[in-house]
Amino acid sequence: MNLLPLFIGFGLVTTAVLAIASVGFTLQYAVTNVLNLAYGEVMTVGALTAYVVNHRGGSIWIGLVAGAAAAAIVSLLLNRFIFGPFARRGLKLFGMVVVAIAVSLILANALLIIAGSSNFSYQFDAGPTFRGLGMILSTEQLVVIGIAVVAMVAIRVLLTRTKLGRAMRATATDESLARACGISVRRVTDAAWLISGALCGIAGVVLGMSVTGWGVFTDQGLLITIVAAAVVGGIGQPYGAMLGALLLGIVTSMVAGYFDPAYRDVSAFVILVLFLLFRPQGILADVVAQREVVT
Amino acid sequence: MNRSGQIGWRVAACVLAVFVVGACGSSTPSTGGISAQPTGDINFGSDSSFTGPNASFGQEQVAGCYTAVSLINQSGGILGHKAHCSIIDNRNDPADGVAAATKAVATISNLEGTLGPGGVATATEPVYEAAKITMMADTGDSAFNQTHDTYFWRITPPDSAGGYAMAVWALKQNYTSAAAVFSNDTTAQTSVPTLRSGYKKGGGNMVADISLVPDQSSYQVEAARVVAAHPQVIFTEADSQTDATFFKAFQQLNGGQMVPIIGTAPTITADWAKAVGNAIGSANLVKYYVGLQPYVAGTGPSWDVFNTALLADSAEIPNPSQWSADAYSMTDYDGINIMALAMLAAKSVVPIDYNNHIIEVTAPGSGKTDVISFADGKAALAAGKSIHYIGAGGAVNFNQYHNYGGDFSANGYDASGNPTTAGVVSAADIAKITT
Repeated sequence: MNLLPLFIGFGLVTTAVLAIASVGFTLQYAVTNVLNLAYGEVMTVGALTAYVVNHRGGSIWIGLVAGAAAAAIVSLLLNRFIFGPFARRGLKLFGMVVVAIAVSLILANALLIIAGSSNFSYQFDAGPTFRGLGMILSTEQLVVIGIAVVAMVAIRVLLTRTKLGRAMRATATDESLARACGISVRRVTDAAWLISGALCGIAGVVLGMSVTGWGVFTDQGLLITIVAAAVVGGIGQPYGAMLGALLLGIVTSMVAGYFDPAYRDVSAFVILVLFLLFRPQGILADVVAQREVVT
Repeated sequence: MNRSGQIGWRVAACVLAVFVVGACGSSTPSTGGISAQPTGDINFGSDSSFTGPNASFGQEQVAGCYTAVSLINQSGGILGHKAHCSIIDNRNDPADGVAAATKAVATISNLEGTLGPGGVATATEPVYEAAKITMMADTGDSAFNQTHDTYFWRITPPDSAGGYAMAVWALKQNYTSAAAVFSNDTTAQTSVPTLRSGYKKGGGNMVADISLVPDQSSYQVEAARVVAAHPQVIFTEADSQTDATFFKAFQQLNGGQMVPIIGTAPTITADWAKAVGNAIGSANLVKYYVGLQPYVAGTGPSWDVFNTALLADSAEIPNPSQWSADAYSMTDYDGINIMALAMLAAKSVVPIDYNNHIIEVTAPGSGKTDVISFADGKAALAAGKSIHYIGAGGAVNFNQYHNYGGDFSANGYDASGNPTTAGVVSAADIAKITT
């Protein structure tokens, strides 16, 4: 058995989940400048919503849509009632980080009280396993990769072909100028929270689909890797976040496979630290500056 | 000293007097060389994991406690004291365990003995030892194999013996190449060194040795490494969700096929069986899985007493029949009985007095009367006899390190989910591969 293509395949599954999550995270940061550390908990809201729908007889696909919608609404409400008011009071980065941590803790414990500490799993037909190019992937893993590809294409279309996308890019570049040009910054901000929340919810559901069981803290454990992917790609750059997710997904899979699984998360942090030391602007910063993709 | 200072001293003196009077009032005066006895009911702690992925350990332990205490109270209690079980949740975390143990020692009134500590014993045992509280521990940690602590008694074989037992069982089935897949927490890792050395000494070859970080979302990489090594059998210990996720990935990558699995005692729980059975299929669990745990006969007069009382206590013990064949529930039940009988022998419920009588009631000897229950032992002691307690889990013979060795049984499940016994690994077999 040749392990290299296997590890690449597993890395692609990790990449898929990371890409959806980190693109949502970085997109929201680009437009709103809020480091939303409650992102993991919002993923869990999406995952739990899908679980409720799925276990009441709905298909996992309806659950996916419901999870995305629920996470989008929660995201919007967080901004409307917590992050937004603090930002309007002029709270700076450190203060907002403290607020985000507090929101994360409150949400996490609220979810624990509501959902309990048991593990959950979705009910759906797992389907056959496929072998190709040396990889072995189950149907659900291929579906997760497919969902990630569709989500990334949708984001690209949104950012490059729609009025809203152009408005988001303008707001991310210069909020004051965007407002002066007649762009409703509040609506753009709301849209950014909704879209990032939807991506967050989708990420939570696909993560749940790709594992045997998950709990209320599973998504929270992924947050640092999501942030790492966003930072490595260039914080605020959705395309960079995709590349960051690809890099981290493949590298962590290789390290776990050829060295020790315990180094999986360590390798993600090592990559993050190296980028912060030698290329803090991230992978795509120069390309982005030339092409004015987002900022 | 000014007036406010004088008032302050008077208040302090009054408070001190209240404490002194209160302390005097809470115990009877010491007599005959034994400590002052508490008034009121006494408590036995049940120090285990009652929440989190290992919550079944706590339920397993307290089932033994409740069963023993109900029989003790039906027999009139211990020296006029009614007994109770107090849950001490260590959450299988050292920091939480120390906090829980410290709180228990400080706040549980008349805490005169405890079951456990379990998985986090290296952190919590010193708390009880310092408080001079007798412990009937079910920890397998090798750190206690040659302990000199006075109040620590281990009523189950150490994990190191369990590692040897797993190796013996695999070699008996002619599995000469194996993979070790263990969670990287300290509880799971205690079996690994002796498993490795014993398996090698017996002629086996460990072709893969994987540590799983618990509660990850995927173990595809780890499973791929094991599949690539082509083991004939997989040794394992991890929590139910971790093992379920790993074995599902293994099965997927191995073309839908499973290989035999030999687990440690913590894998012989309903939670683990359900999670792994759901992941790989119940039929595969029945066909391929065996778990090694300390051997208890599960029959005989002492077990009959235990099982009858266990099944009658469904008010405190949900679904009690699940513990009827559980080695740990039986030995925890025996642990309470041993402490209770030692209290009777010492004529004191205080550990400082009765701790030294534990060997007296458990060691065999000529002229001793074999007793199979607390009531039996109480009657014999009242008649002036020396007793040898033989419990639901068999006779417990402590060595000079307050440790207990013994046989192991290989247990599986039948198609209905009922536990079955596939065979026994004797202490003599274990000794052959001990390094």
